[in-house]
Amino acid sequence: MSSASIIVVIVNILLAVVLAVGTTPIMVWWERRVAGFIQDRTGPNRCSIYGFRLGGLIQSFADMLKLVFKEDFSPSHVKYKFFYTIAPAIVFFCSFLTFAVIPFADTLVIDGFEYTMQAIPTELGIMWFLAYAGLATYGIILGGYSSNSKFGLLSSVRAAAQVVSYEAAMGLSIISMLVTYGTIHLSDMVAFQGGIIEFFNYEGTSIGLPAWGIIMQPLAALIFIVTAFAEANRAPFDIAEGESEIVAGYHTEYSAMRFGLFQVGEYAAMSASSAIIVTLFFGGYHIPWVDTETIQSNIYVVFGVIAVSLVFMTFVLTKWMKKNYSWADENDSRAREGKILVKAFWMMTGAVCLVLILFIVTGLGTNGINIATAVIQIGTFLVKFFMMSLVFIWVRWTLLRFRYDQLQMLGWKVLLPLAILNIFITATVVVVFGS
Amino acid sequence: MGVKVVPRHGSSLKDKLYIPGIAAGMKTTFKHFVKNLKDTSNLRTTQYPEVQPDDITDRYRGVHRLTKREDDSVKCVACYMCATACPAECIEIEAEERFDGQDEKMPKKFTIDLLECVYCGYCVTACPCDAIRMDTGIFSFTGKTREEFVVDKDYLLNNERSKDFNDD
Repeated sequence: MSSASIIVVIVNILLAVVLAVGTTPIMVWWERRVAGFIQDRTGPNRCSIYGFRLGGLIQSFADMLKLVFKEDFSPSHVKYKFFYTIAPAIVFFCSFLTFAVIPFADTLVIDGFEYTMQAIPTELGIMWFLAYAGLATYGIILGGYSSNSKFGLLSSVRAAAQVVSYEAAMGLSIISMLVTYGTIHLSDMVAFQGGIIEFFNYEGTSIGLPAWGIIMQPLAALIFIVTAFAEANRAPFDIAEGESEIVAGYHTEYSAMRFGLFQVGEYAAMSASSAIIVTLFFGGYHIPWVDTETIQSNIYVVFGVIAVSLVFMTFVLTKWMKKNYSWADENDSRAREGKILVKAFWMMTGAVCLVLILFIVTGLGTNGINIATAVIQIGTFLVKFFMMSLVFIWVRWTLLRFRYDQLQMLGWKVLLPLAILNIFITATVVVVFGS
Repeated sequence: MGVKVVPRHGSSLKDKLYIPGIAAGMKTTFKHFVKNLKDTSNLRTTQYPEVQPDDITDRYRGVHRLTKREDDSVKCVACYMCATACPAECIEIEAEERFDGQDEKMPKKFTIDLLECVYCGYCVTACPCDAIRMDTGIFSFTGKTREEFVVDKDYLLNNERSKDFNDD
């Protein structure tokens, strides 16, 4: 193995780890701040290190530290300590492994070698996601069951019933996507979405919408997003947690880092669901109307656009910070922090712009252009990924939890028939018109 | 007897589709989110220690104070009425003879244990000389030890009527 391939593999694995686990504090922070803003309150904004609050981000790290150092208490009525202990680990690892198949960028070519930009370049593709997303629920079921308490057991039963009824609809909605894309590999699916649905042809260039999954298969997209919410145990389908009826459900008897693992697993599942939704339906790493070849042949134009938009974004951000992230008292740590952060943002933007201008002036080799394209695509993927996570959070703080019978009605009587109908329509279209 | 028929919602196609209702709800929450993100002063939260509440009424029972006569001497005559009325038994008075011609008795020691106090205001009602009041407007009294919460005569005498309150 050449050093380039080792670096690419390490970068891929790191990306998967960071997105699955490392984003948990950021997700928690987002969740709490977005929830606060939606409900006209601030959310946590007090925790600080040397006066640096970073808009409340420090609170997540403080909470994490607290969970790590808390006493690891397990109640005496837990009979099967082994299952009780491995349950959070199952939730955590399965949610985490789901990330392994997400393609972060188009196939990277360095010195003629092709590298798939996935943490585990497996042939299983979407099957891997289905397997591990389904398996994560077993951790929840096991945790609730082995807690040996009524709330835990009720929660396990709920989780089991929910996973049975929603996995079916999810699988069927994916089948219609497989028929559309004609592949089970996620990287091929994303490559397919780089194309354009042609409305009419204008002097050799086709004009139309990007061939994203949500545009070609809106019904499948809707069903998949709904079932992904159920799969990730997020509101409005978090009946397994159901804090208003069954205390905290499966993690009632858990404390300290075991509870923390459940929590991380929940957010990892949410991240994985966002990533898979972006990959399947929102064009993955593709910038709309701009496919990989277009970026590679116009790399310097893309650099210019990125530099200008970065400066513009930093300008908007610093303007917002001057208005909302300042404090009347000049000597207050908040006022000082605001000033330092504004400077730091401008310096980062300046550094990135300098590098980009340097690239434009000196020019890049083929490898350099390929790597730059991959970095740009990873950035695009990250933007889409965080937007989708924001939708998850947004939905949680808008919708009420479904009642158990309503949830089953929706799963069996609405989503499942719709998914089957969608398969029929898709198959008919594919057979009649060709894919 | 009149029967009021309450309409049952959720049976129309629009309600059964869920989507319009969900979209409407998400629009509402998004509006709040954008409004607050644009200008955080729209948030209803008071940044408490820096921003103090301004809606404490004149009748609010805060930490006690001992009132004074015109010549700045203590008004209290150590009659023990407040200590007797106190349901929490947090007031401790020690009397001494008074020689300045104002009165016969005055408190040598007047302590209130603020941890015991239930802020009921019975001591204020019981006082025949208007010597003890709870109109300081102090709603948070903090300390690191239990002893700090036992406030003495000097502290109580130095407390002033809250400036936010209307004059008598």
